[in-house]
Amino acid sequence: MLGYIIQRLIQAAFVMLAMSALVFVGVYAIGNPIDVLISPDATQDIREAAIRHYGLDLPLWQQYLAFLGRLLQGDLGRSFVLNIPVLELVLSRLPATLELALAAVLMGAFIGVPLGIYAGYRPESPASKAIMAASVLGFSVPTFWVGLILILTFAVNLDWLPAGDRGPTVEVFGVGWSFLTREGLAFLALPALNLSLFKLAMMVRLSRAGTREVMLSDTVKFARAAGLSEFTILRRHVLRLISIPLVTVFGLEFGSTLAFAVVTETIFSWPGVGKLIIDSITSLDRPVMVGYLVLVAFLFVTINLVVDLSYALLDPRLRRGRRA
Amino acid sequence: MSAALLEVRDLRTHFHTRAGVLKAVDGVSFTLARGEILGLVGESGSGKSVTGFSLIGLVDPPGRIAGGSIRFDGQELVGLAQPAMRGLRGKRIAMVFQDPAATLNPVLTIGQQMAMAVQAHGGGGERAARELAARSLARVGIPDAVARLDAYPHEFSGGMRQRVAIAIALLHQPELIIADEPTTALDVSIQAQILAEMKALAKESGTALIWISHDLATVSSLADRVMVMYAGRIVERGPVAEVLHAPLHPYTRGLLDSLPALATPGQRLAQIPGSTPSLLSLAPGCPFAPRCARASTACGTDPPQVGDARHGALCHHPLGAGP
Ligand SMILES: Nc1ncnc2c1ncn2[C@@H]1O[C@H](COP(=O)(O)OP(=O)(O)O)[C@@H](O)[C@H]1O
Ligand SMILES: [Mg+2]
Repeated sequence: MLGYIIQRLIQAAFVMLAMSALVFVGVYAIGNPIDVLISPDATQDIREAAIRHYGLDLPLWQQYLAFLGRLLQGDLGRSFVLNIPVLELVLSRLPATLELALAAVLMGAFIGVPLGIYAGYRPESPASKAIMAASVLGFSVPTFWVGLILILTFAVNLDWLPAGDRGPTVEVFGVGWSFLTREGLAFLALPALNLSLFKLAMMVRLSRAGTREVMLSDTVKFARAAGLSEFTILRRHVLRLISIPLVTVFGLEFGSTLAFAVVTETIFSWPGVGKLIIDSITSLDRPVMVGYLVLVAFLFVTINLVVDLSYALLDPRLRRGRRA
Repeated sequence: MSAALLEVRDLRTHFHTRAGVLKAVDGVSFTLARGEILGLVGESGSGKSVTGFSLIGLVDPPGRIAGGSIRFDGQELVGLAQPAMRGLRGKRIAMVFQDPAATLNPVLTIGQQMAMAVQAHGGGGERAARELAARSLARVGIPDAVARLDAYPHEFSGGMRQRVAIAIALLHQPELIIADEPTTALDVSIQAQILAEMKALAKESGTALIWISHDLATVSSLADRVMVMYAGRIVERGPVAEVLHAPLHPYTRGLLDSLPALATPGQRLAQIPGSTPSLLSLAPGCPFAPRCARASTACGTDPPQVGDARHGALCHHPLGAGP
C-alpha cells in the first residue's frame, strides 16, 4: 500500500511538471502583455525597461526555468495588473469557489444517488420515469438559463433568497467561509443549486445504471434468499457495489466544478476564482492565468490521487500486501 | 414417515416474454419428507433453477407462478405475502447457488455478510451474530473460522468460497436447503468433498435437501430419490438405484448413456441426438418425441403416467415394456 502511494505521488509530480510546461508555453504564446502594462505613448526606453523588469526579453525556456524555480518556492509571480502576488490573489478567491463547488457536488450526490438508486430499483414506476425525464432536463438545459430562472423565481418574484453576491463569512484557520452562517447559507443556496443540477443529473443516471445491473446479480439474489429486506439490500449491498464509479465521477466533477464554475459565478456575482480568470484573460494578465491554471492542475492531480486511494478503501481486491 | 415437509402440486411458472408465454415449469408435482435428499436433474434449460426459485419465492420478472400449490410444513407458499415469505427465506428455507464468486459480495467481509444474514431474522447483537457465523463456518470445515470472518471473498479459494455460501445457508438451521448446481463451478476433487460434506451435514441436522444438477452422476452419489426434468416437466421420478439401473423414460436412458462412469468400458459415449426444444413453441404431446428413438405417432398426445407411486415416468413407450 505504501509503495503504491509513493508510486502514485511520483506520477503526480510528473503530471504537474508536464502541465506547468504546457500551461506556460500555451499562455506565453498569446498576445503581448507589455501593451497592456504601459501606456501606448510611452517612450521606447520605458518600454524596454519594463520588458527587462518583467523578464520578457529572455528566451522562452529561460523564462520557464525561472518560473519553475519560483513555482517550487510557492512563488507564482505577481499580477501585472494588480501588482500583488498571484498565489495570494488566487487563494483569496479560492475558498468562495471551493465552498460553492463542494456544496454543488454534495447536493448532487446526496439528492442524486438516492433518486438514482430508486429509479434503478423500480425502473418501471411512474416516479422513476419522472426522475429520468428530469435528469435529461438537468443535462440539456443551459446553466445560465437555469440560473436566471432561479433568480427570477426565488429572488425576484418570491423574494425568499438573495439574487447574488456572497454572504458574511466566518474565519476558520485564517480563511473566510460563508457556509457557517445562516445568512451565508441563504446566499449560497441558489448558486449551489444552479451549479449542482448537471451533477445531480449525472449522479442519478450513474446510480440508476449501476443499481439496475447489481439488482440482477447473484449477489442480490443470494441476499434475498438469505431473507434480507429490500432496504438492507439496497443500503448495504447495492450502495457499496455502485460506490466505486460514483466516487470517480464525484472527484472529477468536483475538480471540474472548481475550475469551471465561471458561468454560475458570473450570473450570481460570486466572488470566486471563475470571475478572477475571466478578468485576467480580458486584461492579458499572464502571471494570473498561468498561476491559476497551475493551481487548477494541482487540484485535479490531488483529487485524482485521493480518488485512486479511496478505491483501495472501497474495493478490498485492490489492497496490496495482504494475504491472498 | 411423518407428514411431508414439502408438497408441490401441479406447479406452473411462466415467463411472459415479448415472444410469448414461456412455460419454464409446466405442471410439476412432488413431495419431500423431512431430512430427505432429492436430486433434480436435466439438461440446461429444462427448468430446474426456475423450479428452485419458485419454491423460495424469488422468480425473476417477467416470470410468475401461474398456478399450482406449494405447501411447506402445511403452509401454502403460492400467493404468500412477501414479508411472510421473506421471514421464511434464510430462516426455514435456504438456497445455495452455482457460482460462489458471483453470490458473495466482493467488497464486504465474510463476517459482515454473515452478520447481515443473521440479523435479517432478528439475530441479536453484533457479537452474537459473529459467534453464530464462526460456528457455522467451522461446521462446513473452514479452518481458523474466527479469524476468517474478517477476510474478503477473494481471499478464499473457489471451494472455500462455496463452503462460506453453504455456511450462510446453514446459519439458521433451515428445514430445507435448495442447492442449485453448487459444485458445477468447482474442481472435480473439491466437488466430491463438498458433496460428501453436504450429505453428512444434511443427515446430521435433519435438513431436507433438493440438489439440482445437470449431472446424473453427481446426484446419484448423494440423493435418496431423483427426479428427471425435461422441458419444464418431471418425466421420471424414483429411488436413485432404481432409476439408475432400470430407467423407464428414454430420456433418462439417454442421460445415463452419456455418463462416462456408467457406460460400458470401451463403448463410445452416446450423446442424446438433437437439442432441448424451445419452451416457447412446444408441439402438443411428449416434448422429447423429436429426439426419441422409440417415438411413434402416439407421442403426439400427452404421455400417460406409467410405473407406480415410487418409480414412475411420463411416457407412451417406457423402457422394459416392449416398444
Ligand atoms: N428471467 C427469465 N426471463 C425469461 N426466461 C427465463 C428467465 N429465467 C429462466 N428463463 C427460461 O426458463 C427456462 C428454464 O430455465 P432454468 O430453470 O434456468 O433452466 P436450468 O436451471 O434447468 O438450466 C429456460 O428456457 C430459460 O430461458
Ligand atoms: Mg440452472
